[in-house]
Amino acid sequence: MGRYLARRLLQSILVIFGVTLFSFLSLHLAGDPTLLYVNERATDAQIAETRHRLGFDRPLYEQYLAFMGRLVRGDFGKSLVTKTPAMELITTRLPATIELTVFAMLLAITLSIPIGLLAATKRGTPYDGGIMLFAIFGQSMPSFWLGLMLMLYVGLHWKILPISGHVPLLDPLLAGDFKTAIGNIPRALQHLIMPGVTIAMFSLSRNARLIRSSMLEVLALDYVRTARAKGLRERTVIIRHAFRNALIPFVTILGLEFGFLLSGVVVVETVFSWPGVGRLVFNSINQRDIPVVQATVVFFSLLFVGLNLLVDLIYARLDPRIRLG
Amino acid sequence: MSRLRYAATLLILVALIVGALPSSPAKAQAPGPDEKTLVIAQSQDVQSLDPPQVGSRTDDNIVSHMFATLYEIDDFGNIVPFLAKDYRISEDGTEVTFVLNEGLTCHDGEPLTAEDVVYTFKRAADPANGFTGNTPGFVFASVAYKDARVDSELEATIVLERYQSIALGLLSEVHIHCKDSYEKMSLEEAQSNPIGSGPYKFVEWVKDDYLLMEKWDEFTLRDPYFDRIVWRVIPEASTRTAELIAGNVDVITNVPPDQHAAVNASGNASVVPVEGLRRIYVGFNFTDNFQSECADAIKKTEVRVALQYAVDVPTICEALLGVPCERATGLVNKPNDHPDLEPYPYDPAKAEELLDAAGYPRKGDGVRFECTLMAGRNRYLNDVNVVQTICQYLDDIGVKTNCQLMDFRAEFIPLLVNQQAGELFFVGSGGGNWNALYEMADFASENSNPNYGRWSNPEWFNRWRSLSNIRDPQEERKVVLEMLEVFYNDPPWILLYMQPDFYGVSNRLDWQPRRDERVITFNAKLK
Amino acid sequence: MAEKTSLAVPAAPPEVIRLQEDVPEASFWRRARHSLLRTRWPILALLILSLVVFLAIFGPQIAPKDPNRITLAARLKPPFERNAQGEMVYILGTDSLGRDVLSRLIYGARISLSVGIVAVGIGGTLGTLLGLTAGYFGGRVDDVIMRLADIQLAFPFILLAIMVLVVLGAGVLNLVLVLGIGQWVTYARIARGETMAQREKEYIEAARSIGASHARIMFRGILPNILAPLIVIASFNVASVILAEASLSFLGLGVPPTVPTWGGMLAESRDQLLANRWWLAVFPGLAIMLTVLSLNILGDWLRDFLDPRLRGTV
Repeated sequence: MGRYLARRLLQSILVIFGVTLFSFLSLHLAGDPTLLYVNERATDAQIAETRHRLGFDRPLYEQYLAFMGRLVRGDFGKSLVTKTPAMELITTRLPATIELTVFAMLLAITLSIPIGLLAATKRGTPYDGGIMLFAIFGQSMPSFWLGLMLMLYVGLHWKILPISGHVPLLDPLLAGDFKTAIGNIPRALQHLIMPGVTIAMFSLSRNARLIRSSMLEVLALDYVRTARAKGLRERTVIIRHAFRNALIPFVTILGLEFGFLLSGVVVVETVFSWPGVGRLVFNSINQRDIPVVQATVVFFSLLFVGLNLLVDLIYARLDPRIRLG
Repeated sequence: MSRLRYAATLLILVALIVGALPSSPAKAQAPGPDEKTLVIAQSQDVQSLDPPQVGSRTDDNIVSHMFATLYEIDDFGNIVPFLAKDYRISEDGTEVTFVLNEGLTCHDGEPLTAEDVVYTFKRAADPANGFTGNTPGFVFASVAYKDARVDSELEATIVLERYQSIALGLLSEVHIHCKDSYEKMSLEEAQSNPIGSGPYKFVEWVKDDYLLMEKWDEFTLRDPYFDRIVWRVIPEASTRTAELIAGNVDVITNVPPDQHAAVNASGNASVVPVEGLRRIYVGFNFTDNFQSECADAIKKTEVRVALQYAVDVPTICEALLGVPCERATGLVNKPNDHPDLEPYPYDPAKAEELLDAAGYPRKGDGVRFECTLMAGRNRYLNDVNVVQTICQYLDDIGVKTNCQLMDFRAEFIPLLVNQQAGELFFVGSGGGNWNALYEMADFASENSNPNYGRWSNPEWFNRWRSLSNIRDPQEERKVVLEMLEVFYNDPPWILLYMQPDFYGVSNRLDWQPRRDERVITFNAKLK
Repeated sequence: MAEKTSLAVPAAPPEVIRLQEDVPEASFWRRARHSLLRTRWPILALLILSLVVFLAIFGPQIAPKDPNRITLAARLKPPFERNAQGEMVYILGTDSLGRDVLSRLIYGARISLSVGIVAVGIGGTLGTLLGLTAGYFGGRVDDVIMRLADIQLAFPFILLAIMVLVVLGAGVLNLVLVLGIGQWVTYARIARGETMAQREKEYIEAARSIGASHARIMFRGILPNILAPLIVIASFNVASVILAEASLSFLGLGVPPTVPTWGGMLAESRDQLLANRWWLAVFPGLAIMLTVLSLNILGDWLRDFLDPRLRGTV
């Protein structure tokens, strides 16, 4: 176990290194970024001065080494646009994004499991057909589209939910203000529903389909038949015997789900004016705010690597045949 | 693996993520509109609240409510006193001395005196600070700023390299702040902790969400109606419109023309069209950066004149901008434009005739020559559609035009400032209605931006240089009119239109937006 | 142990499908036809997809108008509207520049479908080659390729896409490259796992003993036997690439606005939603949905038919 973790850690460092190198090169190779940081009417002298001040006139490898040097010390540099530390830009927006993604993931998981199970156990009935139709529909709708439709109908025309905006939950919690946090819950949930559903829709549909088919697979296996033959209750068979095994492929997908959720977040945060990391990522790449882009890239790859490690660990628990190390 | 270890790993991961989060004071939800609260939605978040770093329209709108200026350009284009009550210009025109009102203070209570005005200018100009905003990047370059000095407690003098008749108007864009408070702050702190000098005081800024400001009662030069202004960030146009219709937002900018009917039909809000000052045009690239038949052709005056007749500007306005418009005759807005010039009419037959005569007949495939037109996306009103339509008009008279639309900041601007943005480029240049020279300064030199196409007609530039020796306004006006004729007859642009601006305004509000794209709400009140 | 951490390593494959050499071509197609005829949905999906492919290929011959012809006088015409002479000039209406929606849809099929297919082609080929190499040679080669895969995976696709498209500029070529590169890992992992399973088979041993080259064994021996799951994945992937293109269009990073694509049309229609110009959104939206739906249904069928082991993973 220890050795396994050590190796994974080493691999992770390698991965992060590769990720930074790639993003660094792609941001710099496309030409001089200086022009993005000067006024549209700046003179050549002003441009040259800015280029020098930002260090873009130094050789690329020097710039990269300097960047890595700071990174190792935990310094991600400051935003070239707002001059604030890049990490601070991320962490102030992170709570909103965590609220959104966790909510979306909960939706995707908690709804897809019963839906998938229902479809599998009622195979061939109208239930099954209806669920699968819905699932396939959900998988073929671009998320910005779903978001805009929800906003216009549920938000504007029917006035059921707020159109856009964010009520903080994690922020007051982190600040130790539990009263505000609890008081905010009802309104926060109202604001979460539409963006959450928009993000979750694709995963929800796909996962429901996955669970259905892997359940069908497992239900046909010998040991389930044996369990049934033993006279166990159908519920016990499904939950205790079949479901646990049907969950294995599902968990693997969850690890990869993260990158997917992030894609949804960029679009959905734009549609619903959600003050999160997705928009920061998009804006900072658009402005080629190199330190912020680098920081987000490193941050997300760390998160990704961490989550996948977690998935492996869960995986090992679910499937006793797999031994780590 | 034991359950314990598993739980521990999970815990560590969660702790890592939570540990990375800040323990800042709790954020709240963006306040909604009420009796005394005005809510304005813009498409972008603030980048900087430090006045000399402010460069974008959205930042300037916010900062203009918190920081006052020496003089101010009012809603009608007049230059009126603000923090300063008077000014005088020295004999040779290189020194402008401002006389401040008495008893001014900044938001932290510090008295605002001539020393603070000088500090504002020196701080913005100091290269060590590396500011790139509007003040050092545009104003100082345009007025040829040299230095600033304190004359007395309430008198400060700004020293310029040479006389400029537009100096006062330009200096009215500099937001004044106090010395002691800003000396105490690092550049980084100053980005997000504005200590202002204007009618509203900064309260809080929740990044990418909203910024809240409150009326500062000790400010006596203006008396705005609203006690609080909330500036929300809503990036998506449809969401902004939806929030306006739902009554959660009082003012939005840049309502897409195709949504006007929906807003007006809602009963909650209306679209207020404004004759904007931004001059939209297609520039000709006179450099030798492109080796093509098109590049050679557009160097000829006849060809450039011919292309004017090819584009139906009134129809573009009506269909794509949502209001009728008059085609521009030059680079100067009303009322300072040339009164006797007639807009080029839409007359494709004449365009074809002129091109035939200029030696560019249609070839076998119906094409005279092939040009590339580059443009940024989503920067100006409906630009993506306008640009494609212009390309179609040029195609129609046999000038095959390859339309290239790209990201405005990241791709187009770098090409534009290096004269690489095609033989033709689509741009909008911010204008003013207070002085023709302010707008004509786009062509202040043959070799520098914003003369992006490097037009070099000596008839224009010789006159431009002669202007710095002319003090008599009538004499100046005469030269200006001559220059506008030169511009009209040897056009460096395909003349298009002054961009109309559309503000979505809640029906509860009594407010008239300005022409210069600035959202200033000192005169807004409830109906 | 890393290989156990992904599902890319399947159990030993069922022999029936694997040993393609033993199965005569005719019987393969006959089984395919039987399986298709037994179920109704895949047939419908196949019909829809054939129609889309037909439109994509013969678009220029079928489209009633030039899809890029701008006519401001005819802008925002609703569908099925007859003019004074009683003719239906614009069957599906026009967009905000007066371009014919039907013609744009037909040309859009061309671009959207080719973006999907080419991107998956790039990702699939690259991934399969790398996975095949990694699985066949193992050891150091395998290590390097799998680390590359980890790097790719740790780089969220959207970050990669935005970064490359903003930095290199949005265009059809860059878009296809990004969408392709974003996919290769899936193929590489599966190809690698399958190859490892095949490597130990007798027929490979036999080929080796008669002195066949590595390339020959890899491409003539192993590749045909590991294609089934890759094809299944590819059919799902084309669908997700079409959706990704739509999302990138929304962010302003899709193909240039002068090129008609379904995703681009849908993204452009958003300003018209409040004004109830439904046809601008409904037609491209339907086109995307029907195509994606069909690809998914077909993918399901292909999976069940070619490689049932994949059930529960894709």
